[in-house]
Amino acid sequence: MALVTAQGLVKRYGSFIALNGVDFEIEHGITGLLGANGAGKTTVLGMIIGLHPVDAGTLTVLGKDPWSDGHEVRERLGYAPEHHTLPPDVQAVDFVRHVAELHGLPGTEANTRASDAMWLVGLGEERFRPMGTMSTGQRQRVKLAQAIAHDPTLILLDEPTDGLDPLQRDAMLDLIKGVSANFAIDVILSSHLLDEVEAICDSVVIIGEGVTLASGPLDELRNTDAIGVDLELDAEPAQVESVASLLRAHGLTVTTSQRRVVVEGVDDSVFDLARDACVANDIGIIRLHRRRLSLEDVFLDRLG
Amino acid sequence: MTDAQIFDRGYRKYDGERTGPGGAIRTLVKHSVRHALGLRRSAKHKVIPVLIIVSAYLPAVGFIATAALIPGDFEEEFLPTYAGYYGFVIAAIYLLAGFVAPQLLCNDRRTGMLGVYLASPLSRPTYLVGKAIGVFVLLLAVTFGPPLLMLIAFSLQDSGPSGPVEWMEVFAKILAGSSVMGLMFTSIALAIAATTDRVVVATATVLAVLPASAIATDSLVRDAELSPHLRLANLPNLPRELIFRIHGESGLWGPEANPTWSLWLAFFAWVAASVAVVWLMYRRLLVRR
Repeated sequence: MALVTAQGLVKRYGSFIALNGVDFEIEHGITGLLGANGAGKTTVLGMIIGLHPVDAGTLTVLGKDPWSDGHEVRERLGYAPEHHTLPPDVQAVDFVRHVAELHGLPGTEANTRASDAMWLVGLGEERFRPMGTMSTGQRQRVKLAQAIAHDPTLILLDEPTDGLDPLQRDAMLDLIKGVSANFAIDVILSSHLLDEVEAICDSVVIIGEGVTLASGPLDELRNTDAIGVDLELDAEPAQVESVASLLRAHGLTVTTSQRRVVVEGVDDSVFDLARDACVANDIGIIRLHRRRLSLEDVFLDRLG
Repeated sequence: MTDAQIFDRGYRKYDGERTGPGGAIRTLVKHSVRHALGLRRSAKHKVIPVLIIVSAYLPAVGFIATAALIPGDFEEEFLPTYAGYYGFVIAAIYLLAGFVAPQLLCNDRRTGMLGVYLASPLSRPTYLVGKAIGVFVLLLAVTFGPPLLMLIAFSLQDSGPSGPVEWMEVFAKILAGSSVMGLMFTSIALAIAATTDRVVVATATVLAVLPASAIATDSLVRDAELSPHLRLANLPNLPRELIFRIHGESGLWGPEANPTWSLWLAFFAWVAASVAVVWLMYRRLLVRR
């Protein structure tokens, strides 16, 4: 059974239509909820949590209606909000314990698990610090800790790498991947950053202008079969164009962009032709590899 | 066989019972009370609530000491009654209501904690119930605690109620009176705090509205000689008058001008109106994350 199922989901705020017939199914694993800013991702998360009623369509979360069976659904959910403005004068471990107790854990269990969760996210030594004294990266980890402390079935992470530098971002993504893999906690990751979704997600739901643009396993959407050859050259634009002309002369469809040449077709002979064209122009090859669809290609394609 | 034991198993699955919405409300109340008292926060957060609560007990301690040191019928002639005690501590009750309700309600909206709460088994109504109980419990510390202390101390000095039946009767009256006072101030302060997410604005409004209503209604009834029913809009003195009636005392206004039933009606109307304001503000509030 799918963790979350949405059929014809509609949400209006006055005359503004935030969602206009969204359909998707979210299965086990890590699912990326993708879309530009204002696409409706946060509205979808809010409806999954049961913050807003559905205006039309149906939404099922863990087999229940999140609006009418709200507390039963939310008991099994963890949620890390996007904003960083957590109570500044509260110790991180107290905050995590409080959220764990809110989700139904008895006091002593919440106490132990809050510390365990803080150690898991790498803040064991810092757990008694007030959250106002913590860096953005540490606060993001505290938000993850409070989302998992009560052992939820599903966690919803809203822009969990917002404000992080590249190293912190990679560490956070590894942490999320580890939590999902090691503790069988399913994750919905809301983000507008395609590369981070591509890095850790098993499936994606892409939302744009209030409708579903694409949804399903990442591999299916990207189509793992190669679609061409990608050639990066150590050359000036004029030389790149010369290589492209030679390849076109063999009947190939070729596009260029700065130092890149993209050739359609996956036949091995394309590699030989590309090599020969470079040799003929006395140009060095930086990279030559099969080209597959990236999530960005899928996203741009579906956006039209 | 070895004696080795694993004490720290790290993060793991939890298969035990969950406490549900009832447990969530309990933990919200506990956390709210702790937070307002500044517990597990830096010292500066403890100063104001501790000073207010201590100031509510000081007159009681003074009266108890006086009764203990001066023998005879001094107590009956000079010490205030249990209902009359609220005249000495009404400022502390104002202050605590004005300090606590905005702390507990406005901050959650400003810091985004409301979104975290509503992502838990709490719903908007259960969240508000938890917060209201938190404010009420804190107010009981200044409305119920000092008269109870006096009752116990006077009983130990053999100048309290005679016999367990009379003692329980006085105790019940103190509890009822302090609940009336606590409920009135809790609901008014929460209604004001629900209209803004700025703590300072809410606190200033609570501290201004309560005495302003007393001054305005007193001058309209006494100086302008308008209807004594206008006193029903005297927010701090309405519960005080009810407490006098609960204890069977004549009170501030007299039962002829303001019959007891009208006081109860006005009290419940104020509480209901305040609850309606809080609910309307939170029902309309768009919590987006």
